[in-house]
Amino acid sequence: MGDHCEQTMRRLNTYIDRELSDSEVRNVKAHLDDCPPCEQVFDFQAEMKRLVRKECCTDDAPARLRDWVRQLSTEKSKPAG
Amino acid sequence: MDQRGVGMSSDFSLFERHLDALYRSALRLTRKPEDAEDLVQETYLRAYRYRNRFKPGTNEKAWLFTIMTNVFRNRLRKRGAPEDPIDQPGTDFSIYDQMRRDGMPVHLMSPEEIIVDRGFGDEVKHALEELPVPMRMVVVLVDVEDFSYKEVASILGIKIGTVMSRLHRGRQALQKKLWEYSGRPKAPSLAVGAR
Repeated sequence: MGDHCEQTMRRLNTYIDRELSDSEVRNVKAHLDDCPPCEQVFDFQAEMKRLVRKECCTDDAPARLRDWVRQLSTEKSKPAG
Repeated sequence: MDQRGVGMSSDFSLFERHLDALYRSALRLTRKPEDAEDLVQETYLRAYRYRNRFKPGTNEKAWLFTIMTNVFRNRLRKRGAPEDPIDQPGTDFSIYDQMRRDGMPVHLMSPEEIIVDRGFGDEVKHALEELPVPMRMVVVLVDVEDFSYKEVASILGIKIGTVMSRLHRGRQALQKKLWEYSGRPKAPSLAVGAR
């Protein structure tokens, strides 16, 4: 793995989490365009992140909890205590 | 003292729209539907009680998650739960690297095919719930709730560098669990993530 690969790999998380500046993103993208092995790793980890989100977004709050919260938000007349 | 405030009701309904997010995260933290419901209720009661401290125009979702993670950590502390081991270095692990070492055509497979399609359904949730709490909170906040590192640092009261290292190790530990669930040969043991 070349120096450029190592440098890019250090930005794996910050890249997929969109924490990099525009110029850093351009640098990473430029390397990934030239380096299929690095690009595969980045694609895989980005896909992994999407998978975690997708799998964990399936639980909605139960209806009775929703009703309870709604009731709380309409309790205008009660002073905060 | 009357703390009702103008437009309070509409302000509070701003909070209502984050109920599903709070609930699914509470589930990952507590692992039990009844405990998750209880945690979310206490979160909303506190949000309601302190609603005048919320600055309109700031991020109400982050505010709610700050309350919830604090309530959760206080509960763990009260229950005398042992502190999870955190911040020790672990062995690097990723499913990608492991499959490459095993000579699998990983570049032709998606994580979904590797983990979910051959699995029993809820393995991602289970794996997440097995992570030590400090890492689990960071992975949930970043990966599931899409908060920025800066927001997570503020929610949990930790440094951004700590967010990044917990996220890094949390993701590795998560992949190691998923790798084990998928019936692959045992991954090298990590210093963290085992329970």
